[in-house]
Amino acid sequence: MKKILSLLLVLAMTLSLAACGPNESAADTQTAVSEESGQEDAQEETAEDAGGTEDAASEESAEEDASQTAYPVTVTDQAGREVVIEEEPQKLVSGYYISTSLLIALGLEDRLVGIEAKADTRPVYQLSAPELLELPSVGTAKEFDLEGCAALEPDLVILPLKLQDSADALEELGITALVVNPEDQELLNETIKLVGTASNTQEKAQSLLNFASEQEARLGEALADAETPSVYLAGNSALLSTAGDSMYQSDMIRMAGGVNAAAEITDAYWAEISYEQLLAWDPDYIVLASDADYTVDDVLADQNLADCTAVVNGDVYQIPGDAEAWDSPVPSGILGAVWLSSVLHPEECPEADSMAVIDEYYETFYGFTYSEK
Amino acid sequence: MALPTVKSRVFCAAGAILMIALAAASLFVGKYPLTLEGLLSGDVMQLRVFWTLRASRTAVGVIGGFALGAAGFVYQTVFRNPLASPDVIGVSSGASAGAAAGILFLSGAAAVTASAFAGALAAVVLALALSSLDRAGRNGTIVLAGIAVHALAQTALMCLKLTADPERELASIEYWIMGSLNGISGYSIGVNLLLCLLCVSALFLLHRQILLLSAEEGEARMLGADVGRLRLAVLLLATLAVSCVVSLSGLISFVGLLAPHGARLLTKRNRVGTMLLGGMLGSILLTGADILARSVSSTELPVSIFTSLLGAPFLIFLIIRGRQRA
Repeated sequence: MKKILSLLLVLAMTLSLAACGPNESAADTQTAVSEESGQEDAQEETAEDAGGTEDAASEESAEEDASQTAYPVTVTDQAGREVVIEEEPQKLVSGYYISTSLLIALGLEDRLVGIEAKADTRPVYQLSAPELLELPSVGTAKEFDLEGCAALEPDLVILPLKLQDSADALEELGITALVVNPEDQELLNETIKLVGTASNTQEKAQSLLNFASEQEARLGEALADAETPSVYLAGNSALLSTAGDSMYQSDMIRMAGGVNAAAEITDAYWAEISYEQLLAWDPDYIVLASDADYTVDDVLADQNLADCTAVVNGDVYQIPGDAEAWDSPVPSGILGAVWLSSVLHPEECPEADSMAVIDEYYETFYGFTYSEK
Repeated sequence: MALPTVKSRVFCAAGAILMIALAAASLFVGKYPLTLEGLLSGDVMQLRVFWTLRASRTAVGVIGGFALGAAGFVYQTVFRNPLASPDVIGVSSGASAGAAAGILFLSGAAAVTASAFAGALAAVVLALALSSLDRAGRNGTIVLAGIAVHALAQTALMCLKLTADPERELASIEYWIMGSLNGISGYSIGVNLLLCLLCVSALFLLHRQILLLSAEEGEARMLGADVGRLRLAVLLLATLAVSCVVSLSGLISFVGLLAPHGARLLTKRNRVGTMLLGGMLGSILLTGADILARSVSSTELPVSIFTSLLGAPFLIFLIIRGRQRA
């Protein structure tokens, strides 16, 4: 999407080079294009769903009252597919780290029979459910192991949107597959509800959602009158890649009582910028993504940034990744905002309070104490 | 007979003026709000941004573009092939593989630059060594050896990409390959630019010999040239110049191919003036493209998009114009 956008942008630019206001016209084209495509997507989805939305909706609303899933249940997954789940699934496969973490939070780790590759790079599994590391791998988002997955005879397979084709292939093999797409907070909330319904853990799912909304409300209250320093979020791949305003990570900064220094960027994915741009923004804080390849010391030692306010004051931090990357849309994502609020506003949000919240979260949902790990 | 020389001088003068104008523009286009008053009054921050970022980036655009254009001219002349470019002997794929290895196993921008440079050099040395195995010293051998090295480097690159983490390293590798001048700062370019300038100057000193190489081999030999060794030396210099640029910027498409063609179509000749004009066209193209790459959008765009977009219509225009004249 971003590639197409920038190509369109570039074409529009070359065509309008002769005209005098290139920057304005570029901005116009960009918004026009994104709006259009957004509408198209929405229309397509409605068109696709039109068939069975009503039934699914009415069933779902009935379930919510009961907080127990009545099987067989029909759900619409996040690829717009209709999935019928005959009975409460006992054997689960998760092909995505976010859904795996969610299943642990919902207390379903014992039902997992297979998970995604590279599980050993996720400390939260080790801390909460080390037995998961022994499970067979069903491959990565690039290459899903269809046969290996089928051999595990799962009742329900949860896959990311990237693996939708594999989900369809599994359905043809007679294996129920659910596609999730937790790309931002709203979609993640949807994912949590969807998986909760599918696996009959709606109560737990709801308390997970409540935890996040309570914390968001608490932060909003505590920081209502606080100043809002500007925060530059440096991406995983490089210091000069950052998250624009429409990204999940931008919400984290806002909730923590800061302003995204890169708010003017509208890309929906990590955007490349220059040192000049970073110096022009001159953020009060530089925060590194938790999986960054480079370190806080690298940034502090970067001569190009010697005059940047954040570097001068030593306000360069990295989001902790000791359990999970809180800057990605994992169920624990709200903890990123909790942690950052103590960095930006130690007066209003003392670090001890934040640590207590983080401990409470992991004790409640994952069964370990974060601060004692 | 005097006409073409005058014409090529006119073109060179016009090229030089345009090059200087673009370089000046490049100094004052960018995300950081620099003002002439601020610079003159000695605002520390502005001066630092100007020297370490803006001026460095401009220098790489101007010198790098010039080197790519001039080296492209050398390749096309020496191989007597209008499609020849540094890519033919695997420079860019070697540099890409080197950069990928740097991104995966080393840390820091300087390390990646050094690693890309090492990759490019390794590819060239390997290609030239392979071709020297052919005692007859045929011209085509270098191209064949280059294609083999290119394929090898691509395979290495693919293996490296496969082991890369898709979220972080793979993204960095892809961005590197797309080419951009946005990571350039005064602290990292000194050695590369100096070496590049030395190589380009050496190429201009050798311009008679380069043109000799474009003649039939027997003829060149009769004129007293040690063809094999000369060709090696010239190619090594041109490739070194390109490696210096590419290891700083990532791959930049089209400049090395287009600039010398443009120069030839404009001057209708193949001599040192054409090489100079080729260099200037390269400079103009890269500097112009970089100005657009940093100012069109709120984010940095890959510079290759603009070198191709600006370059292709220009080349087509020249070809059509040539047709009509004929």
